[in-house]
Amino acid sequence: MSDLKRHDMPSDELLVAFLDGELEGAERAWIEALIKTDDAVTARYEFLSRSEMPFYDAFEPLLENAPASDLEAILAGLPSPIAAEPRARRWNRRGFIAAAIGLIFVGAAADRAYLGLKDSSNESDGSEWRSVVAEYLTLYTPETLANIASDARSQSEQLRSVGDKLGLALTIQAISLPDIPLKRAQVLQYDGKPLGQIAYLDPANGPLALCIVQSSRGTSEPRVEKRYGMNIVFWSDQAHGYMLVGHNPVDQLSGLAEHVRTALKA
Amino acid sequence: MTVAQFELSAYSWVDTGTSSAPDVRKERIGTEAKIASEHEIRASLSQHLARLWRYGVVLSRQRDVADDLVQATCVRALERAGQFTSGTRLDRWLFSILHSIWLNEVRSRRIRMGNGFVDADVTLTFDGEQETETHVLANQVLRQVNELPEAQRTAVFLAYVEGLSYREVAEVLNVPIGTVMSRLAAARAKLAENASREMVAMRTKGGN
Repeated sequence: MSDLKRHDMPSDELLVAFLDGELEGAERAWIEALIKTDDAVTARYEFLSRSEMPFYDAFEPLLENAPASDLEAILAGLPSPIAAEPRARRWNRRGFIAAAIGLIFVGAAADRAYLGLKDSSNESDGSEWRSVVAEYLTLYTPETLANIASDARSQSEQLRSVGDKLGLALTIQAISLPDIPLKRAQVLQYDGKPLGQIAYLDPANGPLALCIVQSSRGTSEPRVEKRYGMNIVFWSDQAHGYMLVGHNPVDQLSGLAEHVRTALKA
Repeated sequence: MTVAQFELSAYSWVDTGTSSAPDVRKERIGTEAKIASEHEIRASLSQHLARLWRYGVVLSRQRDVADDLVQATCVRALERAGQFTSGTRLDRWLFSILHSIWLNEVRSRRIRMGNGFVDADVTLTFDGEQETETHVLANQVLRQVNELPEAQRTAVFLAYVEGLSYREVAEVLNVPIGTVMSRLAAARAKLAENASREMVAMRTKGGN
């Protein structure tokens, strides 16, 4: 007991820790004894105990108020090693805006998060890259491309650089689309391999992109699919996979794809 | 209800080495121990979205900021899937990611931009349509917690609402355990003071 007298007033920290069941052994026994025997400690302990409230219950309704479906959509809209789930992965506008704002927070990490996906176990049908590319393009607005200076000379240089990476001869002539201005050609990467993105800005339908990867899957005729609310026409030749993606109607997009395909073959 | 009922044991930290945990807990840990890939992190993330959002609301006191925090947390968690330690609680890991994004990116940015914070009573209370006794009490609790300084508010939320142990709170907030203790002690002293004032007020009203 003489020991106790020396510390007759434990700190609020210790009393609260006792209250929270965070003390053990001797410390716990010491505080417990003090609360029973020392009037000043008893009073302080009782005072602090008044702070007990139904915290857990009070915050429970906030969970119900959470915008569950929006959050699900945001998560579903993030790039995944397992693609090929176009079903629930369309972003609604709110999710998209939140994502766009969110990307400001992650800053430079965004491109890595979106295109730096490494995955070797899900190569099943070769569609993953299209999913990632389509998703990436959902982040583009007309403003993304509008202010890019696009003189023929710098575009030619960009195209040459992209073509070099891909082992493909790209000329302005071959990749031009009727009435839809070319804005920029750049090299991105998917799964550690180069991915060429040639971006256009369609005055009527917004950003549009022709994307190219090296592929050894063999030739396939153009097919159409929809991902993230955008239409995609994709095809491949002996050495490359191609996709044209945008908000354009399927028929128009197919026509444009045919145009590019023919021009590239020439 | 008292604080002691908040399932402290169910949430408490488990070392894989000292396994005196009940079976249920072991099972849960066993499940999470398998989490190794981005794919599995994603699947688990979806179970924690509402709780992450709620933590975002408690921190930012704004719904739209909470949305953004969850978004950024998901991106970061998937990006760092490889850094998640199997056998630890995924929700704790996510809380700490969200907290660091809030602290280092969102909050600092907002303060730099001079936006300040709107008063967020709106967010942290419920509509008065059904002013049931439960709602009144819940709103009182929310209001009082909301009035605490951010550091105390966060510690109170993690410890008493999410049921984290002191050690877990310290890890999520990346501060020493002594700091958690002093924040909780200060918060409780403030809340106790409020409660005492109310008791006096009620007595003055004449035992109504």
